[in-house]
This record gives sequence, C-alpha cells and structure tokens, in this order.
Amino acid sequence: MNALFLNLASALIQGGLATAAPAAALNERTFWMPKQSSTVAPSIDAMFMAITWVSYFFFFLIVGIMVVFIVRYRQRGREIHAHGPTHHTPLEITWTIVPLIIVVIIFFGGFKGYLALATPPANSYQIDVVAQQWYWNFKYPNGAKSTDLYVPAGRPVKLVMRSEDVLHSLFIPDFRVKKDVLPSRYTVLWFQCDQPTGKDPKDDKIDLFHILHCTEYCGKDHSRMNAKVIVLPEAEFKLWEDKQARWLDEILDKDLYWDAGPKLFARCQSCHTLDGTPSTGPSWGPHDGLPAIWDRTSKGLTKFAGGGTLADIMGEGKEFTTPEDYLTNSILIPNKHLVESFGPAMPTFQGQLDSRGIRALIDFMKHIDEFDSKAKWLKTPPPEADAAAAPAATP
Amino acid sequence: MTAIDSKSPGHDHAGAHTAGHAPAHGQYPFLAHHFETPAQQFDSAKLGMWLFLVTEVLFFGALFAMYAIMRYREPEVFSFASHYLSTNMGAVNTGVLILSSLTMAMGVHFAQRGKKGPLVTCLILTLLGAVGFLVIKFFEYDHKIRANLVWGPGFYEPVKDANGNIIGAPSAHADAAQPPAAVASAMPAVRIDPLIGKALPGEASVVRPSARGPAGIAPAAAVDATAAMQADGHVADGHGAEGEHGAGGHDADKAHVFDPNLPKMTHRFFAIYYCMTGLHGIHVVIGMFLIGWLTIRAMRGEFTSNYYTPVDLVGLYWHIVDLIWIFLFPLFYLIH
Amino acid sequence: MTTLDAPVPLDTRHSDDNYLTHTRGLLSWILTLDHKRIGVMYLFSVLTSFFVGGVFALAIRTKLLFPGEVSWMTADMYNHLFTLHGAVMVFLVIIPSVPAALGNFVLPIMLGAKDVAFPRLNLFSYWLWLGGALCVVISLLAGSFDTGWTFYTPYSVTTTFGGVIPVLTGVFILGFSSIFTGMNFIVTIHKLRPPGMTWFRMPLFLWAIYATALIQVLATPVLAITLSLLIVERIFHIGIFDPQNGGDPVLFQHFFWFYSHPAVYIMILPGMGIISEIIAVHSHRHIFGYRFIAFSSIAIAIFSFLVWGHHMFTSGQSGLMNVVFSAITFSVAIPSAIKVFNWLGTLYKGSISLNTPMLYGLAFLFLFTIGGLTGLHLGTLNTDIHLHDTYFVVAHFHYVMMGSALIAMIGGLHHWWPKMFGVMYSEFWGRIACTLVFVGFNVTFFTQFMLGSQGMPRRYYSYDHFPEMAETYKIYHHISTGGSYIMAIGFLITAAYLLHSLFRGKPAPANPWGGRSLEWQCPSPPPHDNFAVTPRVGDCYDFSAVRWDDEANGYIVDRSLDPELNPNAPKRTGH
Repeated sequence: MNALFLNLASALIQGGLATAAPAAALNERTFWMPKQSSTVAPSIDAMFMAITWVSYFFFFLIVGIMVVFIVRYRQRGREIHAHGPTHHTPLEITWTIVPLIIVVIIFFGGFKGYLALATPPANSYQIDVVAQQWYWNFKYPNGAKSTDLYVPAGRPVKLVMRSEDVLHSLFIPDFRVKKDVLPSRYTVLWFQCDQPTGKDPKDDKIDLFHILHCTEYCGKDHSRMNAKVIVLPEAEFKLWEDKQARWLDEILDKDLYWDAGPKLFARCQSCHTLDGTPSTGPSWGPHDGLPAIWDRTSKGLTKFAGGGTLADIMGEGKEFTTPEDYLTNSILIPNKHLVESFGPAMPTFQGQLDSRGIRALIDFMKHIDEFDSKAKWLKTPPPEADAAAAPAATP
Repeated sequence: MTAIDSKSPGHDHAGAHTAGHAPAHGQYPFLAHHFETPAQQFDSAKLGMWLFLVTEVLFFGALFAMYAIMRYREPEVFSFASHYLSTNMGAVNTGVLILSSLTMAMGVHFAQRGKKGPLVTCLILTLLGAVGFLVIKFFEYDHKIRANLVWGPGFYEPVKDANGNIIGAPSAHADAAQPPAAVASAMPAVRIDPLIGKALPGEASVVRPSARGPAGIAPAAAVDATAAMQADGHVADGHGAEGEHGAGGHDADKAHVFDPNLPKMTHRFFAIYYCMTGLHGIHVVIGMFLIGWLTIRAMRGEFTSNYYTPVDLVGLYWHIVDLIWIFLFPLFYLIH
Repeated sequence: MTTLDAPVPLDTRHSDDNYLTHTRGLLSWILTLDHKRIGVMYLFSVLTSFFVGGVFALAIRTKLLFPGEVSWMTADMYNHLFTLHGAVMVFLVIIPSVPAALGNFVLPIMLGAKDVAFPRLNLFSYWLWLGGALCVVISLLAGSFDTGWTFYTPYSVTTTFGGVIPVLTGVFILGFSSIFTGMNFIVTIHKLRPPGMTWFRMPLFLWAIYATALIQVLATPVLAITLSLLIVERIFHIGIFDPQNGGDPVLFQHFFWFYSHPAVYIMILPGMGIISEIIAVHSHRHIFGYRFIAFSSIAIAIFSFLVWGHHMFTSGQSGLMNVVFSAITFSVAIPSAIKVFNWLGTLYKGSISLNTPMLYGLAFLFLFTIGGLTGLHLGTLNTDIHLHDTYFVVAHFHYVMMGSALIAMIGGLHHWWPKMFGVMYSEFWGRIACTLVFVGFNVTFFTQFMLGSQGMPRRYYSYDHFPEMAETYKIYHHISTGGSYIMAIGFLITAAYLLHSLFRGKPAPANPWGGRSLEWQCPSPPPHDNFAVTPRVGDCYDFSAVRWDDEANGYIVDRSLDPELNPNAPKRTGH
C-alpha cells in the first residue's frame, strides 16, 4: 500500500464544495447573446448580428411579398384567372447571383473570425484539461489542480484537453468558445478574458463566475457536467495558483478527515451517498444489512459481483493485505473487483488523488458517523485548527 | 433477387387491360401487367440491378475508405500484419473466383441463346467455384483463428498447444522455460489500453539479438510502446520472408504476440481484414443461393432466348462479387 | 399507343371499383403489389410512428418545464426519451414519410404508369420498414438506448443499456427499405414514362423524388456499413471506432454524417417537391421557373454529399477541413433560395385559393425561410463555434425537418387525401388545425433560438446546476412547452377530422382543387390499374384547360381549352 502511495505523483485534488464564499454566475445578457467576456466575443457577436439582420431582411421580404400576393391574387369563386409569366431568366439569374454574393461575404467573415479562434497566441498560459463522466479536471503548470476553471485576466489562456472516457465538449457561452474533448487525441482551445469576474456589484460577499458547460452528450449526468470559470487579476491568480498547489499539504494529518475529507468527497458524491440510498455506485452508509463502508471493508463483508466477499481476497498473503490497501486499489483501479449489483462505472482517480488525498478519504470513511448525509461535519472544529485551515479553504 | 425478377407479379389483374395491351401480354406470359413490352421490362430490371450494384460498391466503398484511412495512419501495422496472410491461398482463391466469373459469363451467353444444357453446366461450375472459394477461405480463417490472429483483444493472448504450453514465447529459447501461467497473467485483460509493449516488459532481456529490428530501431517491447510506432517499413526483417507463414501452421504465426517488432494495435489489421473478407464471404454465400435457384429454374427449362433476365442479373451480381475480391486480394495479401 | 388520339372519356364519377374495393380481406392488403395500397400502408405506419414520436416529444417538453430533477422522470429516462424521439422521427417517420408513403401513392399516377417498376420489391421495402420498426420495439424491451440518434462513439460502444444493438439492426434494415424504394423510383421514372411524358414535362414532385432517390441509393449504404461496424465494435471490440482499442471516434462521425447529412435532403427535397405542386395547383397557374426548380433539386442532391463536415466544426477535425466544409455548405443555400423565389413567383398573378393544403404550403414558405436563414448562422465558422450543440441547432433543424419537411408532408396529405380515399375532410377544421400547428410550432421553436444563442446546451435533462441557469432559461422553456401543447392540439384535431372524413366524409370529385397533372385526371379513389387508358400527357402546369364543372362538382380538364390539343383554344396563360 505504501509503495503505491509513493509511486503516485504529488497530485492534488480539490472538491467543488470547497467554495466557502457564496458565488453567483454572471447573468448579464442582451436579447440574443450572453455577456461578451472574451476578446473574440465582440467579433463573433458582430458576425451573428450581421447575419441576423440579413435574415430579417430576407424573411420580411419573402413573407411580405407572399402576403401581398395572397391578398392581391386571391381566387374569388371558382373561376381561374391566372395569367402570370412562366419564367423570366434575368430574374432567375439575379436571385441566383445576389444570394451567392451575400453568402460569399458571410463565409469570408466567418472564416476570418475563425482564424482568430483557431490559433492560440504563442505566449498563452497553458492549462491541461481532463474531462470524465461527469467532471472537469483542470491542471495548472505548477501542479495545482481544480474542478473549476481559474484563469488569469488579460492573458491568453490555452486549454489542452483530453477525455478519460467518452466524448465531451467544453463550452463557455460568455467567451463564445467551444471544442470537443476526445479520448483519442488532444484538442486545443484558447481564449483571453480581460475582465476579472470579481464580486457582485450589489453584494460584495458574492463571487461571480462564468458558466462552463459540457455540450457533447456524455451519458446520465451530462446536464450536471458544468463548472465555474473564475477570472482573477494576474497577481491574485498567481497567489491562488501557489496556494492551490499546496492546500492539502497544509492540513495537519489529524485534521485531514474533517477538513479535506468532505471537500474531496464532493467529487465522489455524484455516485456515492452517505445515507444508504442507492446511486450509480454503492452507498458509503449502511445499506442492505451491511454496515457503513469502513466497517464492512475492515470486516471483509463487501460482496462482489459474481459471488464471494472481500474476506476471500483480503488478509496476509492474499491480494490485499489491509482494508486501506483494498480501498486505495478501488480508487485507483476501480473496476477490478465489482461490488455486487453494480456495473463498471467508476473512472480511475490515478493522477488525480495522491497519497494524502486518499488518506484523507479513508480517514473520512473511518469517521463517517461524525458527518450528516450532506457530508457536513457535525462537530465544531477547534478554533486554532480552523484558523490554520482557513486560507486553504478558498477554492 | 426476387426483387429484381419482374416476372409474374402474381396478382389478379384480369380485366385491367385494354385491347391495346393484350397482344404483348398474351404473347409473353412473363410480361408483368405494368410493362408495355418485354424490352421495357428487361431494361427496367437491368437498370434496377445496376443501381443495386452501385449501392454494393458504396457499401464496400465505405470499407475501402476505412482501409485507406487506417493504412495511411498506421502503415507499420499493415506492413507487419500482412505477412501473416497466406499469399498462396489468396492467389488460388482469386483464380477460382475469376474462373467462376468466366463460367457465369458463359452461362449468360448460353441463356441468351436458349441453350438449356450448357447453361445448366455453366451454372453448376460457377456454383462449384463459389463452394471452392469458401472452402479455401474456411481453411484460411480456421488457421488464423487457431493462431489467435483475430480481430479483438484475443489477438494479444499467447497461443497454447495441446498440453497448455505457450507456443513461441521468447523464454522458450532461453534456458529456463517460464511457467505458462505467469506469462498468461502478464497479458492484459480485455480492453486495457496499452495492449502491446507493456505486456511483457520483463521479457526484454531474453529477446534474442537476432530477433531485433535493424540497426537503430530497438525492439518495441524493450523500450517503449511508442517506439514501435516509428518502426515501420523494416519489420519484415524480424520474421523472415513473405510466404514463410504459409498454410502449414508455422509456429511463428502463433507467436506473433512475442514478436518484438509487433506494432501497437495490430489487431486492427485483422479487424478490417475480417470485416471486409467476411462481408465479401457473405456475398459469396448469397450468390450461391442465387445461382442454385437459377440452376433449378434452368433445369426446369424456364429460361428462353426471350426470357433470361434472372440469369443476366445474377451474372452481374456475381461479377461484382468477383471484382470486389480482385481489389481485396492485392490490398491485403500483396501490398506490404 | 393507338389510344392517344382518341377522345378521352374523363371519369369524374365516384367509382365503385377502385383500388380500395378491388379485392377484400386483410391478406389482400398485406400481400398487395398495388403501389397505392403499399403507399396507404406506409402512410398509416408512418403516422402511427409520428404519434409515438410526438408523445415522446411532449414528455420531453413537459419535463423541461421543471429546471431540476423530477421524481417522475429520471435523467436516464429523459436521455432514453430524447434518443427515441430522434430515432423514431428521423428513421421511422420523416425519411419514409414523403417518398415511401405519398410518393408511392402518387408517383406512378402522376407519371401515367400503372405501377412502380418493381412491385414486389416495393412490398418488400414496406415489410423491411415493419421489420425495422419491430427492431426498435425490441430494443425498448431489451433495455432501450440512450446514445442520441447519432450513436456517437465511444459512448454507444460503452453504454450499458441493452437496446443499442437491436436499434442499430433496425436502422440498418430501415436503410435497406429506403434504398429499395429509391431504386424502384429511379427505374420507374427512367423506364415507365408513357409517351409524351418527357423529363421536362414531369411534375416537379417527380423531379424532387428522383433527386431524393439518388441520395437514398448513394448515401444509405454508407450508413448501413457504418452501423454494422458499430455493432461489430460493440460485440467484438475490433478497434475501428472505439479509442480504447485504437479506433477513432471522429472517423465514426465522418462516416455517420456522410449519410446523415444527405439524409437531411432525403427529408426536405420531397417536401419541396410537394410544395411545388401545392403552390402551383392552388394558385392555378403555371409554376414559375420550372427548369430552375428542377435543376435546383438535382444541385441540392449533389451538394448534399459534400457538406457533411459542417456537423463537425468543433469535433477536432482539422481547421482546413472546417474552412472547406463551411465554404461548400454555403453553396447549398443558393438552390434553396432559388426554389423559394420561384415559389413566390408562382403566386404572382395567380388565382390563389386558401384551402388547407395551400395554408400548409404557405406555412412551409414561412418556416422554411426561417430554417434556411438560420442555417447561415450555423454554416458560418465563428458563429457556429458558439451555437454548435446548443438549442439554436435544435431550433434550426426542427424548422427544417419538422417545420418544412413534415409540414410539407401534412400539406401533401391534405392535398392528395381526396384522391387517396375519395372523401373530402372538413375544410373548416382543416384551417383551424393548420393555424394551431403553425402558431404552436413557432412558439415552440422560435424561443429555442434565443435559448441556444444564450448558451443552453442541447440534451440537458436539468438546467439548475447553477441557479442563474434556471433563472435565464426557465421562461424560454415554459413558452416552448406551451407552444408544443398548442401544436399537439392542432395535430389531434387533424387526426380527428381526417379519421372522421374516412367514415363520414363527402365523396370527393376527381379534381377538387383544379390540378392539371395526371393524378387529377383519374377518378378518386383511383381504380386498381390507375388509368383505363393511358391519358395523353400535356403540360402539367398549364391550367388554361382547367375549369369548374358543376356536374362533376369539381374541376375538369377541358381539352377543348388546351392550346396544345386544340390549336383554336383561347390563350389564357400570358407570357
């Protein structure tokens, strides 16, 4: 077990629940479009509106002519009094050429705009993105990790993206950028946002953010695969980045389970409950006559699909020596032993959770009775520990 | 081909004809009610058949496009794996099919002239050609499947002989034979990504120098899976000349898993091979049923110099089946 | 053709021996080789599927009234429903609706033929359709599928729901049904035209069906092989589309859209053909720019094969490909625009009657204009990056596939209903229902343009992940769902009065609208063999010989007024 721990990169993970301050999405919009928040947005919106006005023109022209003709040439009674021309070649050529010219112009407009979208500037700040059902993981050059996207303001940001499982697509409406995320190759997306998200002007306790969606259908919780995009002023971003890389290290071992545990559990929450209700994965709480996760694991009671219990493979000289060994393995190589009545749905957390992260989670499992069903700690943290952990609690 | 054969629509249309149509329909009992003349009926059937052949070409065309894309992206896979196909058997099969196409064409010729005996002979010969093709194909498939030269993850499982010993493991050439179970457990299970290269990292030291690729290219298993991606073009050196892996069940076929030059994802060559030749094989089987049906009808003397549409159409079908094979043979067996 | 010059007795009476009464019994239907009966069987099968697909749509829309989770529909159920809605509507309804249902009925009659070239193949196509539909039902029993109707890999390879393989088999079978129909129509048009029916005398509906048939024959095999490979991938893990085994998911998208983009034109082209007929017949005037409309159908068919990549601007394909596909995509706009302008030209100085079919025709013009113009937003590279996979796309393709293709189909149904069943439906209710459908449609889908450009992604079960999402999108979803209910009422009324007319409808004259093409010159419903005598083919858009006849209680084609048949006839159609 220790060997496994050592082999892992010193990766860290931070859960969505870590946001202590209230937050709200930026929600300013025009009739058609959300707020323009990236450097490419104004030109895309201009193109959109230009096409829209062309559309208005042709729509009202066509429908207008149609209505006039219907009124004017309405048949009265049953007699037929039709005598229009059957063809008019100059007219045909006109309405072939005019739309042609218009679409050529529109094409070139879109083409020019696309060139800007497709070529990330050389000095871009690179963030690695790993998408998996149904989460986004962002990794920064200094090793910091997050599940919400933090970017520096006023600097081009390049996302190098890859998927762990199926197709996803990263879409930030406020930035007007989108790109599919594939399991078989890397895709690249870039944007620059000059305006930090900052605080709500009406209430400066509320942090604002842009919304990031997954737009390629990816299974059950596709519609939950959203994240926040927080744009920080460059200096503030540097501070955040440094702190983010170290947050787990700064928590004392004895505090890991209540301080880091629930934050990390936020990630597990989409498939595992704490109160015994079934979900995509087995509940960590007591269910179906089994005790809570730590008790059933340490006693070897977990039942596997296809028969047998954990006791068969855990113990001296067997596949797993200790319960910690088994749990670590379940997080890193999840589908090796499937728990009874569950399919191979869990993604691997290899490279996302390091030894401290896994330890925090296992400690959390051991103290699961100290938490309510929403992973809220039922005790009060000691004041000195609270002060020490506070800076790290920011997302 | 019931669809194309427009003879006797089989429903009652008595009284539907005006005097203008009756003579043609009386004279030609096979003329369907909605056609005016036998020529119109024949032309329609023929055009329909050609359209059907167009869809066949597109059906296979998509697979040929797939082949081209895969080959363009991973030439090393194709150049490595094509050596495992038996050129001799492929060539014999090509000959068999071309001959059967000839007999089919002769059959159409005799049908047009209303010669019943030669027509039946030609159809039976064509049928024998189709059977011969499938028998040879069966032996090819059988041999490959026994050697685990298959389409999916099974490709990476070592082949065992009757005693359960792994065939062709490099360790067999070294002093102590490794327990087969250990090798087997080192094999990746279904759907593990790095199928090759990482499979036998411990074996690198026992790979014979002679089995290594040419100078400068290190065996994939010894270094890194990605290195194998670049090792295109020279892999043939690793396991002898073409034709060595003939129909005889050479052990080297069964040891492809241990070939240090095995590129990543080589099973995909066999995936496309089985897809394309399999689909072609299905077409041969359909052709056999059609020719058998023609033979029975020809024996009953249903075809005359006035009415031989089904023979003509099945002939067209059989030629396209032949033609597709003529493309498949060089693409899989000849080009390395 | 000795009969050509003989005076043609125009049978305008309600005939007792028609294709419906020619033979009796269930077996006489399911084994029929009569193109009209096959068309009617297709029609009822397609309309049944349309009802089922519509119920799925209403369930989806009802769920979207609520931003969050609801107890009565889980995320999985929602995903199954939108997938089924898409698959049923595309493969079981829209693709066969016009060519196989209406086309089968009308094409040989319009052409002046007794049947399609291969009647048995035609029946076989219908049975294949039933087989495909059965496979979809089997897939429901086997655990349904949640891949989206596009079956994108690797999700379609890894999803654990058991209905994927049955439905893929079903779509494969439906593909062959479509191919055989297309082959049949091409051969029929090439070989069964009676003397006098030259290519440029054919009604434009036939041109449209011909162009459609070309696409069906050329594109569908690629879908068939792609789906077969997907089945093989799912069973044997051969590594062609699944990256886990070395495959390429983008390659699947290329293969899929190589069919499915032309398929969009399989859906819309026959609709355009119907509109050419409806607008000409109900304006009682020669179609404007016949050749331009005919050739634009062929142009659309050709371009349709060259633009599939515009579904993949964000897929990770190369930027150069994006640019090329965007450029070619715009070329499709031109023939579409030509058609719209020519239809407008046909209204000019016409004698326009606003019967129910014409109302649908005009609704088509309105909706297709919107659908086509919003295509510009999506074909343009940089705006598509923002709009791709949002509700904007959903709105756009509903305007084109439903607002245009299906509305044209419903219009065609009303246009030919008297011919098919020999009965008139209630014109009053027809107009009310058409208005409801038109209003409901726009309320439902126009709001979705805003929803999409504001950033709402498609295929979202819930939109309350952040409260602001619900705040923004809720109002649009409410309006949209409201509109869908209006539309549903419209369609229910339509079903009611059409069914009512079958039993209680007034007998229809041979030519209730004043059409000139051949189908209006045979009785309603047509006899078993369509024409007792193949009629002489005139200019099918020359309405100068069409006049009202009180005795027939409908219009008749008066040959003495036809300048082509009678040189002394007064000229009425000015040039």
